[in-house]
Amino acid sequence: MEILVLLIPVSIVLMAIAGVMFVWAVNNDQFKQLERHGFDVLDDDSGEKE
Amino acid sequence: MTLSAISVADMHCARCASKIEAALKNETGVLATFINPARRQVLIEHTESADPLRLLERIEQAGFHPLLSAQSTQSGAQQDLLKRLGVSGLAMMQVMMASLVLYSGHFIAVEDSYRRLFEITSLLFCIPVVCYAAMPFFTSALRSLRTGMNMDIPISVAILSAFFFSMYNTLADAGEVYYESVSMFTFLLLTARYVNDRLKTRFEVSNASLAALPAFGLVMRDGARARTALETIPVGSDLWVEEGNQVPLDGIVHAAGISLDESVLTGESAEVSKRPGDPVYAGTMNRGAGFEMRTTATFDRSRIAGITELADKAQSEKPRTAQIADRIAHYFVPGVLVLAALTWLVWHFVDPSQAFVAALTVLVVSCPCALSLATPATFTAAMTRLRQSGIVLTRSAVLEQITSIDAALLDKTGTLTIHAPRLRSIEVLAPERHTEAELIDLAAALQRHANHPLARAFPEPRAIRVDNVDVVTGAGVEGRFEGRQVRIGKGAFCGAAAGADDRAIYLSIDGLPVARFLVDDPVRPDAQAAINALRAAGITPTMVSGDAPERCRELADVLGIDYVARQTPETKLEIIRALKRQGARVLAVGDGINDIPALAAADISVTVLESSDLVRSKADVLLLNRRLGALIDLIQVGKRTRRVLRQNLSWSLGYNLVAVPLAAMGFMVPWVAAVGMASSSMLVMLNASRLLRTPAYQPTSALEG
Repeated sequence: MEILVLLIPVSIVLMAIAGVMFVWAVNNDQFKQLERHGFDVLDDDSGEKE
Repeated sequence: MTLSAISVADMHCARCASKIEAALKNETGVLATFINPARRQVLIEHTESADPLRLLERIEQAGFHPLLSAQSTQSGAQQDLLKRLGVSGLAMMQVMMASLVLYSGHFIAVEDSYRRLFEITSLLFCIPVVCYAAMPFFTSALRSLRTGMNMDIPISVAILSAFFFSMYNTLADAGEVYYESVSMFTFLLLTARYVNDRLKTRFEVSNASLAALPAFGLVMRDGARARTALETIPVGSDLWVEEGNQVPLDGIVHAAGISLDESVLTGESAEVSKRPGDPVYAGTMNRGAGFEMRTTATFDRSRIAGITELADKAQSEKPRTAQIADRIAHYFVPGVLVLAALTWLVWHFVDPSQAFVAALTVLVVSCPCALSLATPATFTAAMTRLRQSGIVLTRSAVLEQITSIDAALLDKTGTLTIHAPRLRSIEVLAPERHTEAELIDLAAALQRHANHPLARAFPEPRAIRVDNVDVVTGAGVEGRFEGRQVRIGKGAFCGAAAGADDRAIYLSIDGLPVARFLVDDPVRPDAQAAINALRAAGITPTMVSGDAPERCRELADVLGIDYVARQTPETKLEIIRALKRQGARVLAVGDGINDIPALAAADISVTVLESSDLVRSKADVLLLNRRLGALIDLIQVGKRTRRVLRQNLSWSLGYNLVAVPLAAMGFMVPWVAAVGMASSSMLVMLNASRLLRTPAYQPTSALEG
C-alpha cells in the first residue's frame, strides 16, 4: 500500500497536465465546428485557401 | 422608429433578462425591449429621441456589461463553459476514485492514514472545481443578491458549504466529507448548462446561416464588373451573379432561364426557375449560369436580414407558460433556502450529526434547474424544428395558441393559388380590325402599369408606346395609343354590355370593347391536402377573397371549401370579429396589404414570403416556402410542443415534490441528490429535443404524382 504515497502525487501531476492540455485545446479552437471539418474532404478548394 | 441591438455578455438567465427589461422600461423613447438570453442580446425598439448612450448606461447600472459589437462574445462564452466543464470532469473522476476507497471504509477496514491520504487528495482535486469551474455560479449568485434571487444562490450555498464543511473535517480529522458531491454537482450542473447552450446554438445557427452573405457583390458599370462591398451598393444597381455563387442582395432578374436554390429561405432544395421580372432574394444560391439582376433593397433592408431579426425577436419574447415557470422558479429559490434551514433546525434536535448532510441534500436535490430549463428549451427546440420546414415565428406564443384554433380564413389569390396568373384564352371581339397578337401587345403595354396581380399574366410588351397612362383603382388602366383612348379592365370600365362575364378582362379602344381575356391563377399544388388536414385538425377553413364570386366559386368547388367573395379589408375584418364574438379562435392567412386589418385582428396571422414588408412585419407566422402544407407542420409541432411542455413541467414539479421530502427525511445522500437533480434537468432537455425530430408533413405521393 505504500506505493500509493508515490502513485497519488503522480496521478495529480498527470491530471494537471491533462487539464492544461484540455484548456489549451479549447483555446485553440479544437472543439469548434466539430461537424464542419468532416465536409472538408469533399471540398476541393479548401486546401488551397488555408 | 429604430431597432438597436446591444449585446450583453454576462446575461445568463431569465432573471437577468427581466432586470434589464425593468431598467430600460421607463427610458424616454423606448417603445419595447426584446431580450434574447440565448444570443445574450437586447433588441430595443426606440424612437429618435432615445439616447443610445443613456440606454447603455442604464444596462450598466443594472449590473451588466453591455457591448456594442454583437458577434464575437457568444462563442467565447461557450468555450469558457467547455473549459470549466472539462476541468470539473477531470477532477470529478479523480475524486470519485478516492471516494470509492472512502466508501469502502464503511465495509472493510481502511487504515486511518490512508483514509486521510485519500481525503486530502479529494480536497486537492476539489480546489480547481470550486475555485475555477463553479465560479460562474458564485458570480451570478452575488449579482442576483443585489437585484433579486436566482437559482444560482442555492447552488452556490450548496457547493460552498459542502466544500468548506468537508475541508474543515479533513483538516481537523473530524468526520464525514462530501467532496464527491461537490465535484459531481458542479460537473452535472455545468453539463446541463452546456447542453442547453448547444440547443440554443442550434437555433441560432439555423437562423444565422440565413444571414451569412458574401461580403462583396459584382456591380456592373460600363460593361465591367467591379467588386463592391455589399453595404455600399445602392438600390437600383445592376449586379452580376456568378454561377454557383450566392445572390448578394434582393432584386429583380431581367433574363429568363435562371435557376436558383432557395433552400436557405424555404428549407427545400428543389431548384426554382425565375422569369424576367421575378424577385430574387439575398442568400439564395445560383445553380445555373451567371445572370444579371437589379437590386431593390440595400444590404440591411434585405428580406433575409428582416427575417433574421423577426425570428430573434420571437425567441426573446417570453410565452405565457415560460412566464409562469419563471414566476414559480422565482418563489422556489427562497422556498428552497427556507426549507434547507428548516431541515437543518429539525435535524439539529433529532440527530445533530445528520443535520448538515440532510440540509445539503435538500439544497442539492431541489435545485429548480429542470423547472427553469423546461420551457425555454422546449420553445427553442420547437422553433428550430419549424425553421427546417421554412416557418418563422415572430411571436413564440403562437406555439401555444395554434392548438386552440377553430377557424381558418384563407385568402384566395397568392395563398390558395400560386399567384402566378396565366392567360387562359383570348377572344377577339373585332376580328376585322385587329389581330390577336396586336391586342395582346397592347394589353400587355397597358397592364405593365397596373399593380393588379392579374396583370402579371400578360407577357412582356414589345415595342409599343402607350402615353398618358392612368391607373383607375378598382376598374382598370387607361392610356393613349396612337392618339386613341385605350382601356383595359372590368367589363363596365371598357364599355362592355351589362351582365358581361365578371371573370374576364376587357380591352377597349375609344370605348368599344375589342378583346376579352380570360385569366386564371393555378391552385397551389398542396392546397387541397392542406385544407383536408386543417379539417382533420378540427379547424374550419373558409376562403375569403376580394375577387368576383364566379372566380371564387370555381376554385371553391375544386377544393371543396366554403367561400365569401367580394370582400373589402373592412368586411374581412368584420368576419373575423363576428367569429371571435362567437368565441372562435381565428387563424388568418393572407399576403396583400388589403389583408392587414384582418391579419391584425386574427388570433394568429400567417403570411408568405412574397408578401410586402408591411404585411410581414405584422404577421405572427411567416411561411418561407411556397407550401401551405407548412401550416400542417405548424399545427403538428404546436401540438407536440404543448404535450412536451406539460410533460416537462409536470415532471420537474413532481420530481421536486417527491425528492425534497425524501431528502429532508434523510433517505438520500448528497451525491444521489446531485445525480437525481442533473438527470432530471437532462431528461427535460432530451424530451424537448424530441421536438426537433417531429416528422415533416409530406403530401401523399399518390396525389402529387
